Amino acid sequence: MGFIKGIINTLADPRLFFLLAVLSLVLLVWKREKIVSNSVGYGLVGVLGAFFLFGTFDPNFRLIITKPDNVPIVGLIFLLVFFVWYGMREGVLNDRRIAAGQGPIEKAESDRVWVWPDLVYTELISLIVCSVILIVWSILLKAPLEQPANRALTPNPSKAPWYFLGLQEMLVYFDPWLAGVVLPSLIIVGLICIPYIDKNPKGNGYYTFKERKAEVTLFLFGFAILWVSLIVLGTFLRGPNWNFFGPFEFWDIHKLEALTNVNLSDYIWVRALRTGLPTNWFIREIFGIVLVLAYVFVVPVALGKSWFKKYYEKLGAPRYYVGAFLFIMMMALPIKMLLRWLINLKYIVAIPEFFFNI
Amino acid sequence: MADKKSVGHAYNVDFLNVVFAASSLFLLLSVVWMVWDDYDRDWKNTQRRFADLEYQVTQASREQAARAVDKNKMAQLQGQRTAAEKNVTANQQKVDDLQKKMRDVDIRIFRQQQDANFAKATYDHDRYDFESVRAAGGSGVEQKGQKIADEEKALRELNLGLERVIAEKADLTKQLGQYTGEVTRIGKDIDELNTELTRLDKRLTVLAPSLVKDYFRNAPLLDFLAPTIKVKQIILPDVVDDVNFTKVPKLDRCGTCHLAIDKKGYEKYPQPFKTHPNLSTYLGSDSVHPMDKIGCTVCHEGMGQSVSFEGAAHAPGTETQQKEWEAKYHWEQPHLWDYPMLPTKMTEASCAKCHKREVYVPKADALDVAYATYERAGCYACHKTRGFENVRKPGPILTKIQSKLTPDWVKTWIRNPRAVKPATWMPRIWYNSNSSAPEDAKRNEVEIDAVVAYLFANSDTYQPDVKNPPHGDAKSGEKIVKSIGCQGCHIVGEGKRDEVGPRRTFGQPLENIGSKTTYEWVYNWVRNPKHYNPETYMPNLRLTDAQAADVATYLMSLKQGGGDAAKATPDQATVDAVLLDYYQAVMPFEESKTELAKLDVKARQLALGQKVIARYGCFSCHDIKGFDKTQPIGTELSEEGTKSVSRLDFAFVKEIPHTSKLKWFGAKLHDPRLFDRGRVLRPLDRLRMPNFELSDVENSRLVTAIMSFQREIQPAAAMPVKSARTDNISQGRTLVHRRNCVGCHIIEGDGGDFLKLVADPSLGPPMLTPEGARVQPDWLYAFLRGPITIRPWLEVRMPTFGLDDPNLNGVINYFGAVSNAVGSFQTHQVMTASNVADGGKPLFEAMQCQKCHVLGALPKDTPITQLAPDLRMAADRLQPDWILAWLKGPAAILPGTRMPAFWPDYPKSPYPQFGGNADAQIKAIRDYVLTFRGGPTPKGGGAKTAN
Repeated sequence: MGFIKGIINTLADPRLFFLLAVLSLVLLVWKREKIVSNSVGYGLVGVLGAFFLFGTFDPNFRLIITKPDNVPIVGLIFLLVFFVWYGMREGVLNDRRIAAGQGPIEKAESDRVWVWPDLVYTELISLIVCSVILIVWSILLKAPLEQPANRALTPNPSKAPWYFLGLQEMLVYFDPWLAGVVLPSLIIVGLICIPYIDKNPKGNGYYTFKERKAEVTLFLFGFAILWVSLIVLGTFLRGPNWNFFGPFEFWDIHKLEALTNVNLSDYIWVRALRTGLPTNWFIREIFGIVLVLAYVFVVPVALGKSWFKKYYEKLGAPRYYVGAFLFIMMMALPIKMLLRWLINLKYIVAIPEFFFNI
Repeated sequence: MADKKSVGHAYNVDFLNVVFAASSLFLLLSVVWMVWDDYDRDWKNTQRRFADLEYQVTQASREQAARAVDKNKMAQLQGQRTAAEKNVTANQQKVDDLQKKMRDVDIRIFRQQQDANFAKATYDHDRYDFESVRAAGGSGVEQKGQKIADEEKALRELNLGLERVIAEKADLTKQLGQYTGEVTRIGKDIDELNTELTRLDKRLTVLAPSLVKDYFRNAPLLDFLAPTIKVKQIILPDVVDDVNFTKVPKLDRCGTCHLAIDKKGYEKYPQPFKTHPNLSTYLGSDSVHPMDKIGCTVCHEGMGQSVSFEGAAHAPGTETQQKEWEAKYHWEQPHLWDYPMLPTKMTEASCAKCHKREVYVPKADALDVAYATYERAGCYACHKTRGFENVRKPGPILTKIQSKLTPDWVKTWIRNPRAVKPATWMPRIWYNSNSSAPEDAKRNEVEIDAVVAYLFANSDTYQPDVKNPPHGDAKSGEKIVKSIGCQGCHIVGEGKRDEVGPRRTFGQPLENIGSKTTYEWVYNWVRNPKHYNPETYMPNLRLTDAQAADVATYLMSLKQGGGDAAKATPDQATVDAVLLDYYQAVMPFEESKTELAKLDVKARQLALGQKVIARYGCFSCHDIKGFDKTQPIGTELSEEGTKSVSRLDFAFVKEIPHTSKLKWFGAKLHDPRLFDRGRVLRPLDRLRMPNFELSDVENSRLVTAIMSFQREIQPAAAMPVKSARTDNISQGRTLVHRRNCVGCHIIEGDGGDFLKLVADPSLGPPMLTPEGARVQPDWLYAFLRGPITIRPWLEVRMPTFGLDDPNLNGVINYFGAVSNAVGSFQTHQVMTASNVADGGKPLFEAMQCQKCHVLGALPKDTPITQLAPDLRMAADRLQPDWILAWLKGPAAILPGTRMPAFWPDYPKSPYPQFGGNADAQIKAIRDYVLTFRGGPTPKGGGAKTAN
């Protein structure tokens, strides 16, 4: 038992956890034909259920999943897995129909819309059922009040509300002005922009994967991996001092992690060139600045001329550049994560003189 | 899916109907459940149970009250009433007539009253209207003025009319009274006899179970109107809760469940319906801590706002209770409120919130013994603590160690002090739980050696008063030690440290002293302690040289060996390594090595000794040369009781809950190095608090003391009123406790440990509570400077403390303040044989005062337990007024005294003299006694020779 828990604790390390999440996404896309079968679907839910059941016998795990704050996240895990699987299943089934020349099932009955009583009635029932769930929930799980707030003693870990835990996880890799201001704003702006950038009518009103491979995969990467899985990670796997704790690990406030992170300028000036750091901040950070500028301004252009050439031609320059900018900003997070994990990189540009770090 | 089209529906509507019906039903049920969940509270059931209990208890007291009514008197009164009623019946015609008139008058009064009220209201309104218009310079002022003048006139007439009718009524009442007055008067008497019964009957009507109350007023959703079951709260503006960002008045809802807490008569019922103990001190409206001013949680802690058992942060007093609560309430260590309740045995820790910096708080026995233990263990020496700032160092001076001890003895001693003297307060510094591994032994021994070397190298020489003193007789020495009073402060091997308590361990335990030091040193010390250490608290017992020799010979015979042997042999390499370790902590490695190389072997040892003493803080308790200004090493404890539990490091210790401060303190005191367990630490990073090997009782006392050290948040309004008298009392209490006067004397109900060792209390040191009223201040001053023998038949004696003037005056002011006696100077009429009224002497002789009281020679044939002080001292010693009070009722002043009460029925007197006037008789005896002269006096000679 301890051995299994040990393995699970190890797998839950943020690096492995992230890697596994990405791998499952790859697997989902790659082996979708197999995965969408009912047996795999039941299997997934079964494995997940078995994991939580197994986990509840562990006091540390039980404590963390039964905390009234965290119960929604347990639900979220099941719902996310189910709906991703279900969306993919519907898409694959339609793909098969389209390949067989039948067209998507949603279009098959496009001559009518069942509003009364079907839609209205089911909505009413949903309303009632949701009310019942919320009432019962509020009776069974008390509001998680804590002791009186104390400025001399903030809670440790100090966690954001569950829906912001993904953002809080970004704070590990970026400064607050980026993780807390720029990136969240771009997420909202980006989501607003999607309908204006993506003018491809395919997939409108019906499930499909084949017709929208890149878009669906990209969306799943942004939503399921970069948003939801970071929420799960932040909820269950981050303990005191924002240290990482496996699901079966005791949240020991004294746990230490070796964190010696190095700036890009240190790498270049100290390690590679073997000189000291230049005193002038601009010279010191010139490599980082060039790199960041290149990432923002050169990469989209280069991509538009190579791998994304098709998109560039299809969307036109304005649409393409807005989309590509949003894309590279999204990818900034996994890139920074990788750099941190692989070479302990702290900042690409570090100008503490102006509190400006990237 | 295919049939969807055929029916024209996406879903089966019949099925949806079923789902809709079912989900609606669930919604209804969940709403009912929600209402019930909100309604169903434990405290409501508690109140229901109490309503039953209160009904029963009130019924019982009603029955008792009914029995208590004087039946005869009642029958008599009822008889009288019947007779009086007959008189009324005889004049029924007139009475009826008058009563009819009375009703008419009442109606007229009512009407007149109303007319007057309306007229007054109109007049007030118009007057304001007139005033405001006139002030604003508006129009129509004159008419308005005229109008209110008219109105005022009408109003006056109405009032006059009213007065007339009222007078008419008075007249009628008077007339009616002629016939019915007697009946009314007797009725009143009967009511008076039944007051308690009527009150309880009314109460029972309120308490009686009723359908309306149980099923309407307290019903779910209706109980917002006028429920009988409701949260009972008190708001306390004078005491506050600190909620970090602000301080808010306390709001205690404890009374919601503890319903009988301030009601008498529930003492025998279990919690939560038990009456608070000692209502005259706590909660009672006439007590000093009334419930509506002090509340509950300022003393008990816990969350006053909560009405659930768990939320109130109750704390179990014992393990058994904890188990019981866990089963019954699913109790767990409270962690949602920073100030969980104190276990009842520690509640007195809260007294210190308002009774600040007082070493002794009356009636707070647990706190008093906690503070005494805190002082005796010398905690304040290493841990700065508010209220203990200027207390002397608890250990003996080590600046003259060379003349007193040998290095070998000191090594054995500090290696494990309690192996040498089981009752000592000296803690064990080495070989503790984090330094007992075999590989630590060498380092321990090297450090011990180095400390001893440093102490002996920094020791002054000391010339004893008497060199090579003669030896005496151990037997008679033992007799002296066990009778003269040494045992008020010292124990001679009897009892354990926690059993004899902090007062009797005030001085060093005398066990095993023979193997400690030299005969010469002990002889000189008991002969005159201040010669060796002028600052010592050890008083001079004024022993003769022969007695000193006997005592010293006896003490030197107390040898029993004991002590741990060295567990490793120190060598130079280890000395160097350890010293280098100490150096590296403060300087770079190379520099450390150079520093070490500079020193020769002896200097290295001394340098190490100095480092080790600094690390372990030996200087906090002992005077050691070279450490005069070094700061103590411990954490400040002034606010430790309010420290947040998250500031305590539980490290890898899992057996105590990480949410309990009390458990942490308890564990820390039990094994001060416990929290190093399981950690990898270099020797200098390890915990260094020494181990006092506290028993559970001592441990709990110290935790109580720590919990009393609180952040000062309560406002001035909560504090006891201050005056010169209260200052004198609190300073005096500190003095008599810090000097251990209470080791021998009972003062304000506390102390007197020595009395337990004497055969009869009358043979022990006197009780001093009334001392301020009893003796004259100048006599007391002289006595304290140079005590004289007041009861020559006693073996115990008052030592010479050698107090300085501020302390002497402190004692005198304290006793004066306790007795609320007038200040130092008073007019006393000097009594001589010529100016005293006759009659005192015959009374004095008739009462056989001299049978017990000494007048020069001890009376023969009187057992010594019956003897009383020489009355020739009275004029010089006693306050004349006090003698009067003493003669009137000695037992009121000194409970248990052997002095008989000669006027047991004062102010009646059994004696014929002075016309049987007790006061005159008492005064005559007093005056006669005050004519005696020639008794021993401390004044003059005594004071001069005092040390």
